[in-house]
Amino acid sequence: MNELIPIMVIIPMTCALLLSLFSNQNKLIKGLAFFVAICIPIIPLLSNYGLHYFGGHAPLISNLTGVLYHPAVTYSFQSLQKLFIFLLGILVFLVVFIYINSYKKASGPYLFLIFMGTAAITALMLSDDIFHMFIFFEIAALVQVGIIAASSIEDRYETALKYMIMGSIGGPMLLLGIGILLAITGSVNITDIVYAINHNLVSMNSPVFLLACGLIFFGWLYTSGLPPFHTIKSAVYSKAEPHAAALLQAFTVITLVSILIAMFRIFSNLPIFEALLVGFALLAMILGISMALTQNDFRRMIGFLAVGELGFIVLGIGLNTEFALTAGLFQAINEMIVTALLFIGFGVVADLIKTSDIRKTGGLIAYYPKLAIMILIGGFSMAGVPPLNGFQSKLMLIQASLSSGFPEISIIAILVSIATFVVFVKVFYAMFLKPKPNDLVIPNKKVPRSTIFAMAILLIMCIILGLFPSIITGYISGFVGGLL
Amino acid sequence: MLDLQLASLFTVGFLIVIGLFSAIFIDNVIKKLMGIAFIEEGVNLFIVTLGYKEGGIVPIYLPGMDANWFSSTAAYPLPYGLVLTSIVIGASTLAVMLALTMVLYKKYGTLSASKMLASREESELNE
Repeated sequence: MNELIPIMVIIPMTCALLLSLFSNQNKLIKGLAFFVAICIPIIPLLSNYGLHYFGGHAPLISNLTGVLYHPAVTYSFQSLQKLFIFLLGILVFLVVFIYINSYKKASGPYLFLIFMGTAAITALMLSDDIFHMFIFFEIAALVQVGIIAASSIEDRYETALKYMIMGSIGGPMLLLGIGILLAITGSVNITDIVYAINHNLVSMNSPVFLLACGLIFFGWLYTSGLPPFHTIKSAVYSKAEPHAAALLQAFTVITLVSILIAMFRIFSNLPIFEALLVGFALLAMILGISMALTQNDFRRMIGFLAVGELGFIVLGIGLNTEFALTAGLFQAINEMIVTALLFIGFGVVADLIKTSDIRKTGGLIAYYPKLAIMILIGGFSMAGVPPLNGFQSKLMLIQASLSSGFPEISIIAILVSIATFVVFVKVFYAMFLKPKPNDLVIPNKKVPRSTIFAMAILLIMCIILGLFPSIITGYISGFVGGLL
Repeated sequence: MLDLQLASLFTVGFLIVIGLFSAIFIDNVIKKLMGIAFIEEGVNLFIVTLGYKEGGIVPIYLPGMDANWFSSTAAYPLPYGLVLTSIVIGASTLAVMLALTMVLYKKYGTLSASKMLASREESELNE
């Protein structure tokens, strides 16, 4: 059923508008949000692979040039899109479940932001049109700012404005690069652009083409929170509510992957492109872990670790072999699950004890043992401890870098994983194991059941993917084969 | 006389450079936002310039028109379609940034980014 392809965007978008319209009716918006949150992961499972041409305008052959071109915005739904949209749907369901169980009165505008962000990110993943991707990226950026501003954490407005100002430099640079591509190829459809490049209708070594590559790459660095934008991205995560931070990092990972795949299709024949990717991947890994090591705020620390993990994804794509690409995309799936688990876990602790400073915490294992165990396993997964999912993808990445002839990269990857483990052990000890400080007040409040349920689901996914990685890698390698 | 498209591209460069300077180096938040608006408009002007064709006609095909004449004379319509969307996105982004600036002005009583930062650091130290 190819008709379901646009429905994946239309349903959350319509739901967002309805939630905003009926924001005064608490029961209605809670019920609607819950129902749509269940539907979102089901639709990609029911849909067939294929293409959807908006307006029914199928590709045409130009009378003047004899070149095949796409006159309509095209959505492409393949195994990778199925995987990411399904996983995003699961995360949205868990986030909505936590939210409607945590608040007696649900906020229509807040749920609007969650569903509008979901629609935008789904469209970004499906689109085969680079300008369309830019538009939905901008919508997702506005949604992210709204989610930060809606949180109850101090300094949220400052972070939101800083993020927008940086985005207003990164976004137009991305658009300028898209404009240059439009100028030299006459199209914004990625398949058409790739056709023009592969048939030598565009000179790849021309300075204009290189400028387009540089500008789009710069814009992508901002969208993905890679250096030099890593500090603002980690601040964004730390200023959002715990469940929202989990969703925001999923948005970031999908944005990174979808724009990176588009760039890979267009620029992968440029020798400098792979070097740029690997360079920025290593920079993200090293800067992420270095900054996480110096943090005393555990929410900020997880934010920096999340940025470092993004480096592993980019590394896989940058190595440009079938196995490395599969490893990189598998790492993206794992990062979405593990980081969501940790953001929810650490965020709930911060909400309960009203501090996220590890110098002021301690002895929490006696009060929140279930939470501690789940956070511990999540942290082990992020650090790449067997047999969890993080181990599988990192092992694949190390094997890929060795087989590509870069043993030094695999050494850096191993060192970063060890450092991640050290950071995690340090923060876990400071929060849960060291003696409780006298001035730390533990409220007589239990961890919400909805939060425990969401974390348990994510934890089960970590363990299953760690034991049976082929469930995911089969889907990914099918897509990667087509990409190469 | 300077070619219109070339003049337009120079203007694009000028707007983007002024905008970047303002967004990065000027302390006043409103002036930063004005710089950002300059960058956005510069990029929009660039896209509009792409579709410009000297002596071109509006790309609307009317009954009775010769198809070959139309395709060789009409301006390229895609950039105009794109720039409309881009303007809307730019306007909404700017509106949200201005709203956030208002909130911060009420909180700090200043529009200076450095004074806001200093005030925040001071309150963190006091805690």
